[in-house]
Amino acid sequence: MTLLDVLVPFPVVLPLAVGAIVLALGERLPKHAPEALGIAAALAVAGLSAVLSRGALDAGTPVYWFGGWEPRPGVTLGIAFAPDPASAGIAAFIGLLFAAALVFAWGFFDEVRSTFNVLMLLFLAAMQGFCLTRDLFNLFVWFEVMSVAAYALTGFSLKRASLAGALNFTVVNSLGSMLMLAGIGLVYARAGALDFEAVREAVGRAGHDPVIVGGFCLVSVALLTKAAILPFQFWLADAHAVAPSPVSVIFSGSMVPIGLFGFAKIAVQVFPGSPDAGSILHGLLFGVGCATAVVGGLLAWSQRHLKRLLAFSTIGHIGIMLTGVAALSPVGLAGALAYLVGHGLVKGTLFMLVGVLLAEKAGVDELNLRGLGRDIWPAGVLTGLAALLLGGAPLGLLHGGADLVSAAAPDGLAGWAMHLSVLVGTALTGGAVLRFAGRVYLGLGPDPGDEAEAPTDEEQEKADRPLWLMLAPCILLLGIDVLVPADLAEHMAARVLPQFAHLAAGSVAVPPPTGWTAVEPWLALLGAVAVAGVALFRDRVPRILPAAGGMFKPVVAGLNRLHTGVINDYVVWMALGVAMFAAWATF
Amino acid sequence: MSPKLRPALLALAALAILPGFWRVACALPGFGSPVSPYGQAVNALLPEMRRVSNMVSAINFDVRGFDTIGEEFMLLAAVAGTVLLLRGGRGEDRADAGGRIGGRAIVPRADAVVLICRICGPFTFIFGVYVALHAMATPGGGFQGGVVIASSLLLIYLGEGYGRWRQLVREPVLDAVEGAGALLFVAAGLLPVFLGLRFLTNVLPFGTAKDMLSGGLMIVENAGVTLAVAGGFGTVLLEFMEETRATTSEVADPDDGRTGDRA
Repeated sequence: MTLLDVLVPFPVVLPLAVGAIVLALGERLPKHAPEALGIAAALAVAGLSAVLSRGALDAGTPVYWFGGWEPRPGVTLGIAFAPDPASAGIAAFIGLLFAAALVFAWGFFDEVRSTFNVLMLLFLAAMQGFCLTRDLFNLFVWFEVMSVAAYALTGFSLKRASLAGALNFTVVNSLGSMLMLAGIGLVYARAGALDFEAVREAVGRAGHDPVIVGGFCLVSVALLTKAAILPFQFWLADAHAVAPSPVSVIFSGSMVPIGLFGFAKIAVQVFPGSPDAGSILHGLLFGVGCATAVVGGLLAWSQRHLKRLLAFSTIGHIGIMLTGVAALSPVGLAGALAYLVGHGLVKGTLFMLVGVLLAEKAGVDELNLRGLGRDIWPAGVLTGLAALLLGGAPLGLLHGGADLVSAAAPDGLAGWAMHLSVLVGTALTGGAVLRFAGRVYLGLGPDPGDEAEAPTDEEQEKADRPLWLMLAPCILLLGIDVLVPADLAEHMAARVLPQFAHLAAGSVAVPPPTGWTAVEPWLALLGAVAVAGVALFRDRVPRILPAAGGMFKPVVAGLNRLHTGVINDYVVWMALGVAMFAAWATF
Repeated sequence: MSPKLRPALLALAALAILPGFWRVACALPGFGSPVSPYGQAVNALLPEMRRVSNMVSAINFDVRGFDTIGEEFMLLAAVAGTVLLLRGGRGEDRADAGGRIGGRAIVPRADAVVLICRICGPFTFIFGVYVALHAMATPGGGFQGGVVIASSLLLIYLGEGYGRWRQLVREPVLDAVEGAGALLFVAAGLLPVFLGLRFLTNVLPFGTAKDMLSGGLMIVENAGVTLAVAGGFGTVLLEFMEETRATTSEVADPDDGRTGDRA
């Protein structure tokens, strides 16, 4: 057993142990000890997973059988971790994001300090386990730990809205969990195993088997519910809008995206041998991804509650990642992975910056806050930069991912549909954030008058935290995204992919840039600036532009009306989503 | 969505799911067909390999012990979340007295109840310990035993009243027991790592089958689960019971504070 093998369980075991210690000692610990322990554990986890990723890249993916239960001929009993470079890399990014969020939250949760930190540590451990495991049931266990911790963290502020949001989140995601368990049961009924490798062999043997397809559909629905893909996305905005900002950072930056990551992993590591699963992924989910990108963008554009704005933009960006996965090309998958990390860095930063507004200005309403951010201009600069990155600026990790996703577009009409929806999604979300930066920090845009007094809840997060301490993690995360050159990101993504997707080494070639890949980011950026400009300089642009924007208003209003906040509706939508899968698989 | 549209759409969804459901149901292994390969393999291998007679425990603590660690901490997260939401929502202004519904009389506790609780309480506790200790030999184990132990604490409240229950069942102690139990499970997993083996490898002597002390490392893991579950359920019961207390503003009569334990 090499040293690398010894390290494999520790990204999960370390935060669990620290969480148990913090719980056991509770209030006996010195004042800031739980927070410091949490940050140290998150950094250690990031380091451990990074070492695992690097080691796997050089020496191949280690397979770690817990309890020494290695497979015996014909039957695989034990649970294994397989930290391939991509999975461990994502896990390392998650550790970093937790460390940043915990630094940002320093002093936030003084009243309930140890409980909050215990939950965050368990949340972190669960995500690590989710990324590293190669066992279907173990995946479900970590999925559940993640959910349970997340439900409690959402309802944290105990206002009516936050409890309602947490309840919607809990009901929709618990339904997803039950479907996942049922799906795993179906897969097990046919494969007689839970280990990814063993199941993959059984799936390959089974061919067109309704049981396998049924299992794939149910597991996919659960993971796509977590990933907030249409029509399973309804819980997300409700939950993100009410969760405390440091928790929203984790939700949007890692929890939701790794739902998609888990889905991609299942698709390429467990079900590649099922032609029906391939048809669902390439046919149905490709279209769903495009629709999610556009709808998420439109909804983000139409919000004035900043956390809801960012929440909907997350939906749009996850849609873009799904198109990368569903393009069924290794390049698209590599792009989706790089995009996941880049998006997490930028979106995590943006939620922290909204948290700064909540702490300093006690508000999250765009119109209400107009011009109030001038005295905290450094936050404004960062918001502007993040908006440009989100809007497709050809710079850094996020752009590298977007570039690869775009290069994976299929030929013909489907490819153009994908380009168009990615472009619209990117421009609208980037433009929405840019508009909010301009309005809040520069005081641009028409005076809202009475409209500023929106019927929003009184929202404030714990004030009196030092501004520099809140901005430092933002600068760190944005800095990482910007400083990683886009082409390096592309090559790394392509290099780590073969072990993730079981391809021959070196089989993923980064395609040479084409005319379109050079133009696309600039088009998106132009679109984002135009979207923001039309909103902020309504009186000074040709009148046709605001009128054109107004044409979409009824559509967007209709979409917004569907987000009723009534859990019954969300469950019906979810049932329709399952029906969509069932109908595609049957007919 | 209107209340009329909702069931219509749901019915539509069900209609679309039905053909697929039917195809899957028809293709499943027949009812009563041979049990799963996993169960067969475990039944064939484990009595020999681990000398235990409760196969469920052997799966939970040995073959798939890592799942159980996850489930253990899932419980911990659920308890921490419950505490967070209930305690925060309740605030700090709870009095010692029980909350009362207007006009309902407070009936004093009958001597028979006190007697039964004093007899049953300790026995329930011991039974919980018994169930937990014999995890490897007979049905039961740390999860079940821990829940029984936590329930026996509730008999203190029933027999002795709220004040005594709060005196005897202390929240920092429960937290410490819960955390220490979870930590014990993790430590059991780490022991083989220090010996150069995989996490959770069963390194202790297995003992003889059907003996209370069979199963090697599983005994330690089971003890950890017992502590964590007893502490966790105890904490949840405590939080639920605190919900029944009156707020300070509701307690007008100072006498109520002393007699409140009958509520």
